[in-house]
Amino acid sequence: MTTSQDATSAPSPELAPAFDLRRLLRDNIRDYGMFIALGVIWLIFTFTTDGLFVSGRNLVNLVNQAGFIIVIAVGMTLVIVIRHIDLSVGFLAGFLGAVAAIAMTQWGLPVWVVIPMTLIFGILTGLLTSFLVAYVGIPAFVATLAGWLGYRGALGLVTRATGTIVIPNATFNALGGGFVPDIPGLTFLPERHKVTLLLGLIAIILFVVSSIRTRRNTGPQVDSLSTPLFVLKLVVISVAIAAIAWAFAGYQGLSWTAVIVLIVVLFYDFVTRKTVLGRHIYAVGGNPEAAELSGISVARITHVVFASMGMLAALSGILYSARLRSATTTGPLLLELDAIAAAFVGGASTSGGVGTVFGSLVGALVMISLTSGMNLMGIDNSVQYIVRAIVLVLAVVFDVVTRKTAK
Amino acid sequence: MERSAERTPVVELRDIKKYFGAVRALRGVDLALNRHEVLGLMGDNAAGKSTLMKVLSGAYIPSEGGIFIEGQEVHFASPMDARRMGIEMVYQDYALANNLDVAGNVFMGREVVRFKLGPFGVMDYPHMEKETKNLINRLKIDIPSVRQKVERLSGGQRQAVAIARATAFDAKVIIMDEPTAALSVAAIDKVLDLINQLREHGSSVIIISHRLEDIFRVADRMIVLRQGRKVCDTPVSGDIQDFRERVVAYMIGARNDFAEASPVL
Repeated sequence: MTTSQDATSAPSPELAPAFDLRRLLRDNIRDYGMFIALGVIWLIFTFTTDGLFVSGRNLVNLVNQAGFIIVIAVGMTLVIVIRHIDLSVGFLAGFLGAVAAIAMTQWGLPVWVVIPMTLIFGILTGLLTSFLVAYVGIPAFVATLAGWLGYRGALGLVTRATGTIVIPNATFNALGGGFVPDIPGLTFLPERHKVTLLLGLIAIILFVVSSIRTRRNTGPQVDSLSTPLFVLKLVVISVAIAAIAWAFAGYQGLSWTAVIVLIVVLFYDFVTRKTVLGRHIYAVGGNPEAAELSGISVARITHVVFASMGMLAALSGILYSARLRSATTTGPLLLELDAIAAAFVGGASTSGGVGTVFGSLVGALVMISLTSGMNLMGIDNSVQYIVRAIVLVLAVVFDVVTRKTAK
Repeated sequence: MERSAERTPVVELRDIKKYFGAVRALRGVDLALNRHEVLGLMGDNAAGKSTLMKVLSGAYIPSEGGIFIEGQEVHFASPMDARRMGIEMVYQDYALANNLDVAGNVFMGREVVRFKLGPFGVMDYPHMEKETKNLINRLKIDIPSVRQKVERLSGGQRQAVAIARATAFDAKVIIMDEPTAALSVAAIDKVLDLINQLREHGSSVIIISHRLEDIFRVADRMIVLRQGRKVCDTPVSGDIQDFRERVVAYMIGARNDFAEASPVL
């Protein structure tokens, strides 16, 4: 496992050599490539916009713009992992956003009823899709293309009488544009949002402690980072969290959209990496026949994944209509394709079994950062599409190439 | 009862018949497998080898006939039923998820849960890794790390992982479908060594193979199927040349130890 060449550069032969750059790149670039790409994109925009891009106001805007895409991308990642696709979620999000708006304005339901109800509608629509896919055996592409048509029609029907439905509920709208209130009466750092700083600090502590604990439990492995690199990784990510929290705190602090996105991402990351359900999802994606032979019900996993997709589509619809303070007659156009692009930029693979929640978060942030940065630079909209096309292709090419060399 | 316990076959198939519509894939096959025994199962294509093993591993439900495990009749509705009774199958394509690591594959479908959070079982990954390491050490399998993704392993290493998984849960019987078909000569040697080790550890093994040399090297006994019937059931003995000639004679229908009054043509 360790060649003599490695042994000369490493003090302890059973640990991965610390400074073998080629091996280091080969083993890690796939895992961290997207994070590095996001960092580079942010750096470029910081220079081209004289720092405007990384201002608290723009970052908050970025997250609020990306929120409804990120939650869809997270769900889409799992759908792609189990070798399916969901084209219906864009209009489904629009439709369910409109249903939520109607429930508040016409049925007079309170917001704390409307939100869970909308999420349950989302789960039910997801189960309808998975019934067609897993039970009837229709390819997901076709079944969800039908959904794309159907939910578009449904959205048109429910908004036909009213046109765009304005949502007057301030609590609901806060989900799309509101901010977490700060602790009153604190006098230090008057310019900064203390709750945001505190959350950032907690995030850094949790991240460092859990990373060290995981590393200590499992010990050095062939695929893990060497100690100096591990420390470097901890420092870089901690500084990044601190910088983002500081920037957020300098504007109005954490938005409710950011809070919801964080909860969704952390929860799905936990489920996919730590739980039996997550392991089964990846097993089904890697080899459905083998999973079935091992006693994993592929149909059950398909139901769970599409139900989660439906729920996240509902959440996305809520975030979107809350952000616009209204439900439009078209909904978030092309949202499903943005989410699919985000998942692929984030490292998901059409052949199934590959793709992570954090990868898709980064993929969505890459795509939305490109839009936001190029808007600030005043670049023409059509050119923006071409740039995003190139980035999408580059990301997938990068993934294919690194996958080949990894073998 | 105690006297006969050692002698009761660990698995016995009695008069197994399996029809697919008008096709009679198995026309009444008996098979007994003893403890610490390696049984070679041979036959031409469409002789019924795989069908018979799919019946034993729970993938097919037999049209007629009975399955007995240590003398008790059992009915399998799925491969999981068979696995719970200690019958494991190593598939020809290994049935591994390439995107998971070695430990993940060994414990696929049987993940160890540390604690439950509502509907979510949190996996005890360190425990599964440790168990997998022990297993791999015991079987002397050459794999750099249990965290290695299976897609990075060679064909021989994948086969070893598939065998390790079959042995991980105290299997009584391990069925291997063409375990050496896709392997290099060196890898074949390792797999055959592994089969010998399994026998020493107390498992019984059934090997389906086209390679007579492999059966000759590891099997204690061989069964030849032809057109859905058993035509030969003898200990493996003699020299390889003689063995080869006998097997071929059974496979092409020139010999049949179980011919009835009116032999099948």
